[in-house]
Order: sequence, then structure tokens, then C-alpha cells
Amino acid sequence: MPIFQDNRQLLSRLKVIKALFVVAFLVLFVKVWYLSVLKADYYRELANQNHVRVVPLVAPRGLILDAQGRVLVDNIQSSNLILFLDKTEHLQATFEFLKGLNLTAEELEARLLTARNYSKFQSLVIKENLSIEEVSYILSHQAEHPELTIIEEPRRLYRYGALAAHAIGYVGEISDRQLKQSEFVGHKPGDIVGKYGVERTYNPILTGIDGQQRHLVNSVGKVIQELSSIEPKAGNPLTTTIDLDLQQVAETELGDRPGAVVAFDPNDGRILVMASRPAFDPNTFARRISRQEWGNLVENPDNPLQNRTIQSQFSPGSTFKVVMALAGLERGVIDETTSVHCTGGVTLYGHYFHCHKVGGHGTVTLSDAIRQSCNVYFFLLGQKLGINEIETFSKLVGLGQLSGIDLSGEALGLVPSEEWKRRMTGEKWYAGETISVAIGQGPMNVTPVQLARAIGIIATGRVPTLHLSAVDKEPALHQPQVAAPTFKVENLRAVRQGMWRVVNEWGTGRAAQVHGFEVCGKTGTAQTIGSATRSKLSKDQAAKFAPNAWFVGFAPRDNPEIVIAVIVQGGESGGGVVAAPIAGKVFQTYFAKTHKVPPQQNIQLASNFPRIIKPNGQGAALSQ
Amino acid sequence: MSKAFSRFDLYLFGAAMLLALFGVLGVYSASLHSPVSSAFSRQLVWTAMGLVICFVVLSIDYHYLTDHAFTLYAVSIAVLIGILLVGKEINGSKSWLSIGGFGFQPSELVKVVVILTITRYLADLNENYLRSQHFIRLAGIVMVPVLLVIMQGDLGTALMYFPILAGMMLVAGLKPRFIVGVLVLVVLVAPIGWFSLKGYQKQRIMVTFNPELDPKGIGYQTRQSQIAIGSGGLFGTGIGNGLQSQLGFVPEVHTDFIFSLLAEETGLVGAFIVLMLYLFVLLRLLVIAEKARDRAGILIMTGIASLMFFHVAVNVGMTLGMVPAIGIPLPLLSYGGSSAVSTYVALGLALNVHFRRFVY
Repeated sequence: MPIFQDNRQLLSRLKVIKALFVVAFLVLFVKVWYLSVLKADYYRELANQNHVRVVPLVAPRGLILDAQGRVLVDNIQSSNLILFLDKTEHLQATFEFLKGLNLTAEELEARLLTARNYSKFQSLVIKENLSIEEVSYILSHQAEHPELTIIEEPRRLYRYGALAAHAIGYVGEISDRQLKQSEFVGHKPGDIVGKYGVERTYNPILTGIDGQQRHLVNSVGKVIQELSSIEPKAGNPLTTTIDLDLQQVAETELGDRPGAVVAFDPNDGRILVMASRPAFDPNTFARRISRQEWGNLVENPDNPLQNRTIQSQFSPGSTFKVVMALAGLERGVIDETTSVHCTGGVTLYGHYFHCHKVGGHGTVTLSDAIRQSCNVYFFLLGQKLGINEIETFSKLVGLGQLSGIDLSGEALGLVPSEEWKRRMTGEKWYAGETISVAIGQGPMNVTPVQLARAIGIIATGRVPTLHLSAVDKEPALHQPQVAAPTFKVENLRAVRQGMWRVVNEWGTGRAAQVHGFEVCGKTGTAQTIGSATRSKLSKDQAAKFAPNAWFVGFAPRDNPEIVIAVIVQGGESGGGVVAAPIAGKVFQTYFAKTHKVPPQQNIQLASNFPRIIKPNGQGAALSQ
Repeated sequence: MSKAFSRFDLYLFGAAMLLALFGVLGVYSASLHSPVSSAFSRQLVWTAMGLVICFVVLSIDYHYLTDHAFTLYAVSIAVLIGILLVGKEINGSKSWLSIGGFGFQPSELVKVVVILTITRYLADLNENYLRSQHFIRLAGIVMVPVLLVIMQGDLGTALMYFPILAGMMLVAGLKPRFIVGVLVLVVLVAPIGWFSLKGYQKQRIMVTFNPELDPKGIGYQTRQSQIAIGSGGLFGTGIGNGLQSQLGFVPEVHTDFIFSLLAEETGLVGAFIVLMLYLFVLLRLLVIAEKARDRAGILIMTGIASLMFFHVAVNVGMTLGMVPAIGIPLPLLSYGGSSAVSTYVALGLALNVHFRRFVY
């Protein structure tokens, strides 16, 4: 070792190192201060996200019941796989793991995209209705995938499948558009809401209040402690007016034929039957994640999602004659005794209009004309009334008007008028066109519900408030859309007499006859295209545009309890053959179900005493 | 006896013991809900053993150690080579010896031997500036153990040799043109170093400077550590109550991330005390250097201070997300025997230099 050392230079260099140390520690300290003071709230929130896992407890929707309290729609538990959206740091690993459930990265990406409006503390359902094997696959890998867990969530079960599907409707995950609507206020993204039918109309009643569990979890997703729990509150049950027995009969009788049946109680407007064909199984939609079936239904040219009772518009055909009859009587153009001689046709405005009976009906009174559906009688009546009177009166009984039923998407229908034609085509109305309208053809279109409602007005003289549930959620929906008309009792009675004869006196609608139950009705066979057009079509094409078969009616004749409208699309052989038997079966079932006392006696009693108006009967009083 | 007592540096020793106390506290908290529940008692054993080693080192005049530095160096190299052949592999690095059930990494201790070796070389030189032939020899002294440690797969420990060399050379005297030359060399060599890194090592470095670039969640540890420190706030959650540390979100809370645990549970106040104690210890080491009797003492203290500074700065910087996640422990605080032994050897050396600062 050297003897002499001059270390002054070395010692001065130590100062550089000291300064370096002080500066470095200052930097470290400032960073700690920045994290734990300046950004403390931010990091506390992140820490909470780490430790606190919020598991949703989805509230079951309310049951949907028929008029007698039988359960139509129920819930079942489904094991669903959820992803915590605040724990998605390792999405690629998650995707890799979920290949074990046959979920592809593309499907998951698409699913995640639907969650863009979720709050980050929410969880996203990524697979529903897991099998026991799938559940154990997830649970056995829970430690590696704390971002995933399995919850039990109630799922809608439509017990009768397609039965009354259009009236009941279906549910689905709330859409971005719905989230912005006042109707769905209070819902959050990912919620299951009613999309159609009463599920939609009465969504606020059926929707429960979701609960949640807050857990303290460790880094591998193991629950250390339950922090708090809010129990879910189930939605309220909804009693509908649907009568399961009648509905089943109507649907069985309709079979696979496209068409619709609607029946209601004219005293209070309760819809008893609402059937539409072709139908769909709402259980298909009970899942959140859109599936192939959905696309198939939407793209189906037969349009099974359309509720033909309120959304499809048809020519009323001969059923319109009862409205014409009442219009003629009310306007004083005819009376009960006015008769016409039918020779099988009549020339009006230089054009020969056919009656359906070759050779004619001979001399017919009003009630004969209704019973036999004589065209000539109504051609002449139409000529006398003129299109404007026909339009005014049709609207008075609710044709071409919304019925106000508690379902969304109702079609308006159409009653033509001079003004309408001018507006639509710019041309003037030709008097000859009135003649077609007089027998329910031409540009006139109605929905089955509208037509049934008009028949209900004729049957009782009062305007029914049609509804599927008596819960008065949105009063606006229940408001009658037309001013309450007042018709003369004798005029109504004259029309009803004709309708009674249709069914009970070898008229066109005798297939609807029920022994002991005085059914009144009217058949119709409405052309879907003009006869000139038809003659140009091949046989196959013509079959597509085969006429629609109608039956409308009510029973019993006095103090009616049930009104019905049946349409079978393409029911070529006519309303009497195709549609009337369906109505007959519904009447028969109704009669067997409700009339335990001998019917004759019942009717006597009812006609001798003033009718007691039921508390919820909102029909306008008949002027005496 | 009272004379010996006055020669003993109570300031350094006291501050070191306070830090060791924080370490015991941290390891205790980390073992509360952790599978390594034996860590606390083992930490007490290590600390006691460390103190014994510390006083053994204190009792040997450091001149005796520098006199035999080259011998110690040769033995160390032999041990490192031996480990490459027969060592035990833990966490992917074959740098461990198993002594009576306790794992031990000799490479930790070799750092102190390298300090002594450089000291011996520079003290013998007795010049105020280094020349390039000196630099080449110094580089040789350091590179042999560095390459061996890299071959063992322990890059973090290997890196720690460079600050020792840098600090000691800075004090030994570097001409400005030499500093420029080294910087140019670093710029030229850095790309080669980058390409020789393993994939995960590269990613760690990338993620530190850009946490958004997080393809496989490597930034996860750093982020969880930041959340722990940030959520601790001013006063912390209290010992045992830091959810980030206790529920397993912060990795390795008893070893590499013990600072995160302490910051979460004792807050900014606790973190400040720990950092201030470290700064006090480091400055005290340099004060001892200034008081040292000879050049050898100055250089030993510089080496120890540089080594300790780099350990603390890199470890704490890592928990704060300022430095890539390199697995090196925090001296005196982290659980672990090898680190404790080398730290207490260094502490003993420092007390040694202070103890023998006067010529009698």
C-alpha cells in the first residue's frame, strides 16, 4: 500500500454522488406523493374494482295469467355465464379459455360490442343456459379466470309455446333505441324487457327490481366475505283477459291455415281469444343472445311475427253488409220492410254487377238480404247512400280507425271516400266504385279487431274498450277512438235479426250454429284481387290470391256475451264453409263453459229485466 | 469498552435497524393471509444471523480483507462456476445453493467481494484519474462474475455489478473525454444488448415506459402495485388491512414488492419515513467515506453506497412503475436470506471503516 495518499480530489467527487442520491430520492418521494395524495381517489376506485365484485341478482318478471288465473307465462332458472366488465385486462386469455365452451373470439367480440353502453361495474351475460358440464368447466377454472362467473338468472318460459303468442308477445335484451324511450325509463343496458304483445305494453308492471350481492374477492376471484346483499323483487303478475280454453279451441280449429281469430266480451271489451297464424314460439326469444331462429322468423315470407288480428288489413267482403244495413236504416234510406228483386245482377252506371247466386235471390227484404248475402240489395243500398255516407257511417262503427287495444303496432285500415281518392290519386271518385265498396270490396281494408269491434257495437249498441288486461297502465291506450254513436234500438234489432237468420235459418253461416245458444253472424268471402286480374293469372298464382273467408258474429242474440271475428286467408270455399265452423266451435266451448243454467230461461230473464251494467263496462248507453 | 463504543457508528446502525424493523413489520403483514406464513419467523432468523455476520465482519480489520481481496475474488469465481455445474434452479435461475434448507444465492455476496477487489486495485494504483488501461482491467474484474451470473439466468443481480463499478470509477477519477467515450460505447452496445434480451425481458422494459402497450398483461404487476400505493393515501389502511396486498393482487409482497405493502398499509407517511431512512443511511455511508482513514476506506464506502443506492432506487422505482420490473430485493426490508447476508456484510464493512477511521 502506498505510504502517501492525497485523497482531496476523491473526497470532492463524493459530493457529486451525494447530490445524485438526494435528487433520486426526491424523485421517488414525489412519485409516491403523486400516487397516494394527488391520485388517491382514482386508485381507491381501482382498488375497489379489484376487491369488490358485484353479482347481479336478476328479478324474475311477473307471471302472465289467463282470465281464470291459469299461468300462461312463467320463469325458469338458467345458469348463465357472466363476464365482469371491469376485469377484462386479459381478454385474449379469456377468449382462449372460452373456446372450451365452443365460443369463438368473433362471437365474443360481437357480444362485447353490444355492451358498449354498459357501466364498467356491470357484468355481461356471454352464454346462457349452461349445461352441468359447462358449469363445472367454468367453476374448476375459476381461479385462473376471476373475470368470469356463473349466476342463476330467471328466464321466461312460455308454457304453451306458440299459443296466443301474438297477444302475449316476447321479451328480449333492451335495445339502444329502447333505452332512450320514456316507456323504458329506469332500465339499464342488458336488461330483459318486453318487446312485443302484453309483455311490452305492461312491461313496467311485469318488470321486477333487480338486486345485487357485493362480495369481497381476492385476486383469483375467491369470495372472502359478503359485503352486502339486496334481494331482488319479482315483477307483479299480470292477469290477462285471454280465456285459455277458448284460445286453445280457436287455435286448434285454425290449424296451420294462415288467418286470425279474435273474440271479446262486448260488455266490457275483454279480449277472450286472440289467435294469429302462422305463429312463432316466443321461447325462442327468451334468450338474450340473438340466435339463428330470430333471423329465420324475420325473413320468413309468411311473416309469422305479424299479429294478423291487429296488424293485417283485409277487405271485409260481405261481412260489411251488416254495417251497410245499419247505415241504411239509420240514415232512413231503407226500413225493415224495404225489399229488392234480385235477378242475379244489376246494371248500374253502365256496368253489370253480379250477385253471387246465378239466377238471383228473387224478392228479398233486408233480413233476407243479410241471410242470403244478396249483393244486389246492397248494390242498390250503396247507390242510395253514396260513398260519403258509407265512409262516415263506417268510421262511426270504428272501421278505418284504431281500436285502441292495449297492443302496439295496430294498423289503421282504410275506408275510402271521395276526398281520399282525390288526395291519393288526384282523380275524382266514380259512382261505380261505390257499388264495390257497398259489398266490402274495392279499396276498403279493415283489421279483424276493427271488424269485430264494429260487430260488437251492432250487438250491444255500445262502444267496447278492447283490452287484454284490465290494469290501467296507460289510460290513453284504452280511450275509444271514435265518438260514442247512438243508434235506434229497432234498427239494431233489425240487423241482428238478419244475422240471427244467417246462422239459424239456413243462411250462409249455419256452420256456426250452437244448439241452445242463439248465435248471430255474417259470413264473407273477400276477393284479394280483382276478377280481371285473376283471369290473367296461372292456376298456381291464382291460388296465392285465393279469396279470404270471413265469419263475424256474436251470441246470444239478446244481451250478447261474446263477439267473434274469424278470417282464414285463402279460404277459397267461402266464409260459411271455412270460417263459420271455427266460430261455431268457439261459441260452443264458451256456451258449455259458462251456461250451466238452461239458456232459454237465462235469455228470458235477461230481456225482462233492465240490464245491470257491469262496473267496468264503459260502453256508451243505448238511446231508447 | 467505552472507547470502542464511541468508535461504533450508532447513527448508521440505528437507521439500519429501524429499516430492518420495517422489514419485519412488512413481512409479518405479508404472511398474515399468505401461503408463506413461515416467512415472518424465518425473517427474524435471517435478521439475527445477519447481525451476527455484521459483527463478525466488523471484527476483522478491513485492510486484512483488501489485502486478501484477489484471493477472495478467485474463490468467488470458482464458486460461481461451481454453481453453474451443480446449482439448484429456483424461479428459472440456476444461482442457488441449498444450505440446511435455506436457499442461498452466492452471487449476492460476490458483489461485496467485487467491491473489495476494485478497492484493492484502485488503492494500489493511487492516481487521481483513471486511464484507459485501468478501465480495461476494471471492466475485466467486473465482467467475469457478471457473465457467470448472466449464465445462471439472474439478469437482475448481474445488473447490480455495474453501478458498483460506475460509482467507484466516478470517485477514482474519470476524465471528461473518457465519460463521453463510455456514453458513445453504451449507445453502440445498447442495441446489441436489446437483441440479446429474452422476449419477456424486452416486454417488461417496453411496458414500463408505455403501460398501454400491454398485450399479455405484463404491466399487471406494476399496475397493481401502483393501485396499492395510491389507495394507501396519506396514512395507509393499517397493518394487515391493505386489501391490494392482503388479497393477492400485488405479487411478491414479502419480497420484491414489500415497499408497495408498506406504502398501502402505512400510507405516504410510512413511505416517507422509509425513504428518509434510506437516504439517511446512504448519506451516512458517504460521511463515513469522507472520514475514512485511507483511500481504501473511501472506495469501499463508495462501492457499498452505490450498490445500496441502486438496489433501493431500482426496487422502489419498480413498485412505482418508473423502472422495468427487475426482480431485485429491497435491502434490509425484503424477505430473503442471500440478500440479507450480503446486506449485513456490507453494513459490517461500513461500520468497520468507521471503527478504524483513526490511525493509532
